[in-house]
Amino acid sequence: MTTRAVSIRVRPRRGDPALSAVALAALGLYVLFIVVPVLMSAWKSLTNENPLLARADFVGLSNYREMAHDSALTASLGFTLLLAGAVTVVANAAGIGFAMLLNRTSLSFRMMRTVAFLPQVLSGVIVGYVWRYILARDGILNHVLVSLGVIDRPVTWLGSPHLAVLSVGIVAAWVLTGFTTVVHLAALQSIPVELYQAAMVDGAGRWQRFRRITFPMLAPGTTISVTISLITMLKLYDIIAVLTSGGPADSTQSTALYIIQLAFTDDRYGYASAVSMLLLVVSVVIALSVTALLRRREVDL
Amino acid sequence: MPPVAAAPRVSRRAWVTRGHLTAAALLTLAFVSPVYLTLVNAFKTQDQIIRDPAAPPAPPTTHNLTDALARPDRIVQIGLTNSVVTVVVSVLLVIPLGSALGFWLTRRSARLRRIVLAGFAAGLMIPPAVVLLPTIRILAFLHLDHTYPGLILANAGGGYLSFAVFVYSGFLRSVPGEIVEAATVDGAGPLRVWWTIVMPLLRPATATVAIFLSLWIWNDFMNPQFILGPLHGQTITTGIYLSVGQFSTDYAQLFGVMLLAAVVPVAGYLALQKQFIAGLTSGATK
Repeated sequence: MTTRAVSIRVRPRRGDPALSAVALAALGLYVLFIVVPVLMSAWKSLTNENPLLARADFVGLSNYREMAHDSALTASLGFTLLLAGAVTVVANAAGIGFAMLLNRTSLSFRMMRTVAFLPQVLSGVIVGYVWRYILARDGILNHVLVSLGVIDRPVTWLGSPHLAVLSVGIVAAWVLTGFTTVVHLAALQSIPVELYQAAMVDGAGRWQRFRRITFPMLAPGTTISVTISLITMLKLYDIIAVLTSGGPADSTQSTALYIIQLAFTDDRYGYASAVSMLLLVVSVVIALSVTALLRRREVDL
Repeated sequence: MPPVAAAPRVSRRAWVTRGHLTAAALLTLAFVSPVYLTLVNAFKTQDQIIRDPAAPPAPPTTHNLTDALARPDRIVQIGLTNSVVTVVVSVLLVIPLGSALGFWLTRRSARLRRIVLAGFAAGLMIPPAVVLLPTIRILAFLHLDHTYPGLILANAGGGYLSFAVFVYSGFLRSVPGEIVEAATVDGAGPLRVWWTIVMPLLRPATATVAIFLSLWIWNDFMNPQFILGPLHGQTITTGIYLSVGQFSTDYAQLFGVMLLAAVVPVAGYLALQKQFIAGLTSGATK
């Protein structure tokens, strides 16, 4: 007993107390604002906590049972997953195409590349307002489409459920395409020109060169781009809040918006926590499995 | 090959190049047209905007901007000031915390490093809405709810810190261990090695972290909206949301306020383009 205590005392200080202090402060902050909130949500999801009630009671899994019959939740989750999936595919396909179109080094192309990223620089609130103006009934999009003869009379882009879903998707895809284009441009520039020269010598056509060289060589960029697109879409809040506030008839209410409504409008803290846990699990499972899948694809290619 | 046959081939290539440039230019213009609309309409009167939203401002007016700045609630000035303070203090907190933690992890066992980094990876994936309510509860417990210090503290501890830790950990893998060892042999303590040797080597990582966190915190809407609350202060982003709601059909005012709000991040991006793109694409090409 005594010998062990002594041996600890005489052990040379390998430590770095000052650096450890800063590092542990960082860890502590992270625990306080990510780990503890998640644990709190997990615990509150088992209660009926509500600021209007005097006290919160433990209700077991009843919040989770309610979730199974909550059609608003089902609809919001369906919308969130549809939006995340569709926008990720569209934005990445558009990003690859746009990147290939802009992959030249002359000044005009460098300028185009600069402005292509601009949607990413604006806040979701500004993006939401600009597009609300563009998509308004008397807005510029209807104006252009009517004068081109594509549609006979103005369409209420944000006024009917199906079109509102489409509109939110278009706006989100617009923002994300700024990002996917830049990532794929960088990936394109890392492909050795010799590969294309060799393929041309072998008589490979345009499509074959894309299929056999460009697309596989883009894989590391695509992995990052797709993963970040999905994460961004699963947490999307600001653009929807400004563009539609989740309407009409809750058709564009993402699960993030639904959680905010439950927590801050309906004051149902317990139930909001249970829905939070669901969104947390869904987000982490999707992000991890898609990353793993794309990594494996990189190896296969 | 006879020269006669070569001539049309060259001109055909020139046509293809020109066609490519035109296609790229048209597509880019269509793509950035919403940004163009914000820019030109900020300098037009309501009448001009309604008559032709896409026309350039002729003659231009600065009334929308001066009106926005002359509002009695001073929402633009107050919002800009609050955003600058929030961004600067948050970033100045996250940079040393993130890089010290990253460096500290390189001196720990591989197992601990893996566990901690996995925990921080979760921070990147968790939607902010999931932790918002408990975060406000914790801040209330600390008597920091509805305050800027509370907002800054939540910024410094949340997903933004995750991003910083990941960027620094990635860059630290390319810092040769010998440099750190040599400095340690010379008698420098770990804190001094970190601050005087490692931090300067990590400058590109610091640029990435500073640029992207500034942009994200500046543009953040949900955290200031609910952590501060509408009655307790506005950043520029929540300020637009609050003020634009009042004049939903006064487009001249709307575009004036939005231009003033957008000009800081856009100017920052145009000035620091290279670092922006480098930071964004360091992971895309290995």
